[in-house]
Amino acid sequence: MSARRSRSTSISVPASSSTARLENVISMPFLASPGLVGSPRPRMTNATRPSLTVSSGPTTTARRNVATSPVRSISGSYSYSNAASRSPVHSTSPPVFEPRIIRAGPSPARPVDPACFPSVTSPPTAPTRRQSTTRLNSGITPVYHAPMRTVEGSAPTTAPAVTHTQTEVFPRPTYLDHSALRDLLQTDAPISSVDARSAEARAPVTWSTSAYPISVPAVSHYPYLRRVQTPVTESEDEGSSPPPSTAPIAPNPVLMANPVLRLPTRWSEQDRHPPLSVSPDGRELTFIGPSCIGEKDSAAARANHPIPPACGIYYYEVEILHKGSKGHISLGFSSPDVRLSRLPGWEKQSWGYHADDGWSFPGHKDGSPYGPTFDTGDIIGCGVDFSQHRAFYTKNGTFLGMVFENVGKGHELYPAVGLRHTSESIRVNFGHAPFKYAIEDHVHSQQNCVWADIQSTKINWDLLQGINKYEEPSDSRESPKTSGIEDDSVKAPLRKLVLSYLAHHGYAKTAHAFQAQCERSRVPVASTSAKVEQDMDTDDNTTIGPDQELRTRVDIVNAVLRGDVDTALVQTRLHFPTVLEREQGLMLFKLRCRKFVELSVEASEALKRAKQLQPQPTQEVAERGPELHSRVSAGEDVNMDGMDGEGAMDVDDPSHEAHSDSSMNSSSVSTSTLSATEDRSETASRPRQASRSPSARPTSPHAAAARQALHTALAFGQTLEADYKHDGRPEIRAHLKRTFGVVAYTDPLAAGGEVAEMAGQEARVRLGNELNQAILESQGKPVHPALEMLYRQSAACITQLGLLNVGSAAFADMPKEFLEG
Amino acid sequence: MAPKQQIRKEEWERRLHDVQVSKTDLNRLVMDYLVIEGFKTAAEEFSKEAGLASPVDLESIESRMNIREALQRGDVGEAITRVNDLNPEILDTNPSLYFCLQQQKLIEFIRQGRISEALEFAQEELAPRGEENPEFLAELEKTMALLAFESSPSAPPSISDLLSPAQRMRTASAVNAAILESLSQGKEAKLVALLKLLCWGESMLDERAEFPKLDISEGTFK
Repeated sequence: MSARRSRSTSISVPASSSTARLENVISMPFLASPGLVGSPRPRMTNATRPSLTVSSGPTTTARRNVATSPVRSISGSYSYSNAASRSPVHSTSPPVFEPRIIRAGPSPARPVDPACFPSVTSPPTAPTRRQSTTRLNSGITPVYHAPMRTVEGSAPTTAPAVTHTQTEVFPRPTYLDHSALRDLLQTDAPISSVDARSAEARAPVTWSTSAYPISVPAVSHYPYLRRVQTPVTESEDEGSSPPPSTAPIAPNPVLMANPVLRLPTRWSEQDRHPPLSVSPDGRELTFIGPSCIGEKDSAAARANHPIPPACGIYYYEVEILHKGSKGHISLGFSSPDVRLSRLPGWEKQSWGYHADDGWSFPGHKDGSPYGPTFDTGDIIGCGVDFSQHRAFYTKNGTFLGMVFENVGKGHELYPAVGLRHTSESIRVNFGHAPFKYAIEDHVHSQQNCVWADIQSTKINWDLLQGINKYEEPSDSRESPKTSGIEDDSVKAPLRKLVLSYLAHHGYAKTAHAFQAQCERSRVPVASTSAKVEQDMDTDDNTTIGPDQELRTRVDIVNAVLRGDVDTALVQTRLHFPTVLEREQGLMLFKLRCRKFVELSVEASEALKRAKQLQPQPTQEVAERGPELHSRVSAGEDVNMDGMDGEGAMDVDDPSHEAHSDSSMNSSSVSTSTLSATEDRSETASRPRQASRSPSARPTSPHAAAARQALHTALAFGQTLEADYKHDGRPEIRAHLKRTFGVVAYTDPLAAGGEVAEMAGQEARVRLGNELNQAILESQGKPVHPALEMLYRQSAACITQLGLLNVGSAAFADMPKEFLEG
Repeated sequence: MAPKQQIRKEEWERRLHDVQVSKTDLNRLVMDYLVIEGFKTAAEEFSKEAGLASPVDLESIESRMNIREALQRGDVGEAITRVNDLNPEILDTNPSLYFCLQQQKLIEFIRQGRISEALEFAQEELAPRGEENPEFLAELEKTMALLAFESSPSAPPSISDLLSPAQRMRTASAVNAAILESLSQGKEAKLVALLKLLCWGESMLDERAEFPKLDISEGTFK
């Protein structure tokens, strides 16, 4: 099992075009959870993936505009409005605010970009992408240790090297890996590096890095809220989902499930007071021109993106390059509405820590002593904790304490800096380089606090049964002291939850052992649990019905898992006939396709045996083996042979060589080639066979068996094609095509990639799960076990809370708490 | 507070769909539950059926359960012996747990009306510890107060509660947690933590948005 895991990651990806596959590979880190094999269905529609690579395009490109690179000449041709507005005008541009579009996290403007940019963006990003592609493809877990950072540290970032790209691209700072919504948080770095790193940790809860809203294909693909009427087709729906090239459907704001949350990466070119000059790399601010006179006049700048509260904690550091004569420098945060002619902290909705006196200013002129003063060369860290809506500062790596209240509540919050005097200058680190302060430890301890707080929540079973339902007698709500499992009102429902999970997936023996032990350790229980035990009793003794059903279901699924499709079919037809009929026989079709795959694999295995076990006359067999196979794989040959009446197994036909190459491409095995109407049953062809190559026949019974197996497979394949050739449903067509592709390979199991996916055990598991779900559904049972829904619902709540700017949600890291260790 | 956001069913389904969790992940959660809650045979079967290694020695589940049961029926001496058999360090390194067990023993004496034994035990074993630690002393005093009220209904709840099954349960849980910790396991099943998280998450979200709520007992939506 474990040996296969790496392969399983790509399993659910039957995309046929190479682009689609590339995107799948990119998304692999998130699929990397080892158990995907067994998951009831693939987790994502791949058609939406490409977006994420492209997403880094616009911003990066816009950046490059500023730089004095050759790229610049192209920039004029963009139709991207932001690019224009970001043109490299420093001192002359008025303090206009950036267009709102830029800030709006889920930027609806993005989807249109890809087409406009490839020529510009692809050179820098493509190599990285390809690199990660191959790495992931080979199944090696990429081990990154903050990749970009290492590069930065080792490369001479000093003088000349910088000229190449003046905007420093950096990945998401590692302390943000603690956020439950980490996958939504992005810098402008090429996505691949970010993704690859998060793969190192573990597949996160939410796959979400889609750069623009994913067009939801059809509601029926996510049958979570429905119970019976929804077809269980999702695991095969990739075939029918639109290819990645399809133009994105106009973004529907409501369905923008997972927007990208951009992190600040530089000082804004626009969102600054004119006397402040931004360095080309966007990190330095320098006060140019005559110093401000009087308090009314100061110069502030904000970063290019607001801080997403989904960070939980956000932190950046500022190095004082030049304090100037007075040191009227203020570091902190502000809302976009605060005037840029004021130091952060002086105006409402801004917060600042001042260099000259070390005071902190909470949004009005009455500051209070907070920390030490700071000077040229000092590194000051500015942090905001959205789980408390408070800020904190550090000086040269030392924590100075929490300060301010209600920071960033109800409005956007930007990193902001204010200067007042000539030659004052600062340099920011938004994660470009390692931080002075041990911010990860800080985040980690705050995460523990918040998690402990969340875990002090009392389990409210009424709430968990839907907030509007209060049917349970009140005695189930007693014992307020214990909120843990000792509370019987929790214990019993929890048992039921586990039991139904076991039954759902057909872990029959476990379920029985579990039930038996529940019976034995019968404790005084509340009414809910009495009900549960009653349920258990029914399962066990009173009626044989449900238990029998479970057993039959397990048998059927197990038959699929060991490749015995016939038994599965017969049993399903006998006990759950509606399953095969639903959706115009889709499940029947899939089972039959599986049978063809099983037969093909069997044939190839038989061939292998023939080669191995007959070393003597092998000369011949060994040579013939592969020939024969490549022969067969070239579907056209087979067909023509059939027409010629020569028999499919004619190995002497030299024409096969011409075809064998093309046969490696599964799509080239046109389904029509197998649709020969002529009934070439094995009995018919075998005698001919024997007569044609008498020398091989007597010495290699294994080879004969192999031929026979192959022939059986082909005969079945022809029937299959004949039966479904009029079924125009795209998913049927696609599935059929992929199914027939398997026969093109000498050894499908070893072929790797898509073919092995179709042929291997994972495909059986997938089909078994699908069949299991279909049976459950036909019995009026939920498609997903309640336990799974418990997890999904929780994760969905956390994501939604994070998007609604509830900072605490960022610290509910479900993969870490529940899936690791 | 801003008006509640409406989250459409389709949007929510998408979110649910996007959640990355595999069957193996869920199997592990179930295994964790079986182990921590002491379902030994079920854990064994599950290990086979799901092809999942148990995170602990399955035998330790049984002895842990025996200890718990001993405490729940009031046999503190037996429990202490068994804990020491399992791993002597558990009590050695955890004075407050040991005190908790001794206190429970005292409670059991009082419950059984073995007053003289209770007094003797309190003086010899517990009083010296009470001198070491003011918290222990407070607990000891509270326990001794049981003698004064002696099954009188007028006893304050905090004192009469010591005789309730919940007190045994608390002691049993504390011991159970300590054993689990010595095996590097969480003291509570992750599924319980998950339920708490959902309670927290749904109620937090409920303040801000209208969204489909899960009926956990059926796995369906309201």
